[in-house]
Amino acid sequence: MKHLKAINNKAQLLSQAVADDSVEEVVAMSSLAGCTATTDPGWEIDAFGGVTSLCQPMEADLYGCADPCWWPAQVPDMMNTYPDWNKDAMNSKEDWRNLGTVFPKDKN
Amino acid sequence: MDKKRLTALMPTAALVLGSAISTSVLAQGPALVEGNEYMLVANYPNSMHVIDLQTDTLYKSCELPDAFGPGVTQMAPDGKTAYILNNHYEDIYGVNLDNCEVTFHASMSLQQNERTKSIFSFAISADGDEIYAVQNPTMLYRDHYRVQPARLAVYDTSAGLDAKPVRTFPSPRQVTVMQTGDDGTLYMAGADIYKVDVNTGEVDVAIPSRNWDRPLYAPPDVLNAWPIQSPSKDFTILYTTAKFQDESYDLNTADWIYGFMNVNLETGETETTDFGPITEIYFSGMRSPKDPNLVFGVLNRLAKYDIEKKELVGAAELDHSYYCIAMNHDGSKVYLGGTFNDVAIYDADSMEKLGNIQLPGGDMAISTSQVFMR
Repeated sequence: MKHLKAINNKAQLLSQAVADDSVEEVVAMSSLAGCTATTDPGWEIDAFGGVTSLCQPMEADLYGCADPCWWPAQVPDMMNTYPDWNKDAMNSKEDWRNLGTVFPKDKN
Repeated sequence: MDKKRLTALMPTAALVLGSAISTSVLAQGPALVEGNEYMLVANYPNSMHVIDLQTDTLYKSCELPDAFGPGVTQMAPDGKTAYILNNHYEDIYGVNLDNCEVTFHASMSLQQNERTKSIFSFAISADGDEIYAVQNPTMLYRDHYRVQPARLAVYDTSAGLDAKPVRTFPSPRQVTVMQTGDDGTLYMAGADIYKVDVNTGEVDVAIPSRNWDRPLYAPPDVLNAWPIQSPSKDFTILYTTAKFQDESYDLNTADWIYGFMNVNLETGETETTDFGPITEIYFSGMRSPKDPNLVFGVLNRLAKYDIEKKELVGAAELDHSYYCIAMNHDGSKVYLGGTFNDVAIYDADSMEKLGNIQLPGGDMAISTSQVFMR
């Protein structure tokens, strides 16, 4: 952890857990309560540092990555939070223009 | 959740869809023909399709209850009942493909405030009597969630539409795809390839993966999302790795390698075999049912390797990425599914494209396709 600096609440909690020597209590979420544990780089780069082994076209990979929370920074979490994100775009190749952005609801 | 019966989408049924008729009349369409070879695929909005591999044409379609995702399928050994992990990874359904009727349903969450998902991880026993699923429960409390231990749940396939586990056991975490051996052993791919006694829950390692001990090899990188039931009864898991030249472990001079871990589901024999250099990524792979020395991989190209020579011996450019590979039983054709809504067919020998089968509906996304004999 010495090369990482916590900048948000969750990261600070993790740093605190390490400091308290209670890191064993931190359990990987395995995509089960949202997508925030996933850190795959996503569409920017492939395993070779290029783009040729990324899916072609990008839409071919869209729901395969939204369904299982693969790239949470790029697409909504369809597993739990936005299950109907693609309800107007069942065929991503034809209907991708119907996909919108999503925003968290205000907490009351 | 109430829609327990499926309706066939065949044109004959469509003619009567608008009238007030019994669901048993709706649930028609041609039954599968015994001895014929078929391919099962699933896609958005929420359907299963059966492709006739004698003619490479769409044979019938069944609508599914609840919601789509991930659409991971497993065929029962009778070649009649298709099981699908669906409803956003939370439910398993069994569908009689002869009449599209749902005959099995297990909602994997067992308590009201429990949310349980299975990450591609379910399989059917070789005798078709039991379904196995590794489940990841999370308790949803008002102010926090609490991740529960992973469990292996066993269902009786004759339990009907409100199936509950008949046995549960603690399970290793991070298990994805699974298959069963002819002797009843359950093989689960997780950090290692585990071998599980489904009666006692005892877990052993069948093939070390993250913990493999191969001198001069880096730990493998593995992607496992498609539990493909291959005609040759091979459970095949691709890996990539680096092999160092010497104990200086210099990545700059290492060989970068593709390989597979394999369980022979008939004999229980296992192997870990390199088959070539990494030049591109494959999401799924399969050994040829005709020649076990050939292995195919797919993502942006369909590629074929000679395992013994560790050489690429053929490749085909694809119209778009496909995730999931399948082959017919005589090993003559390769069928590519997943991603969009068409299945591409290739000649396994010449690697020439033979055609596409267009599916009604939307993307197959990360679903698993299966080839089976009725």
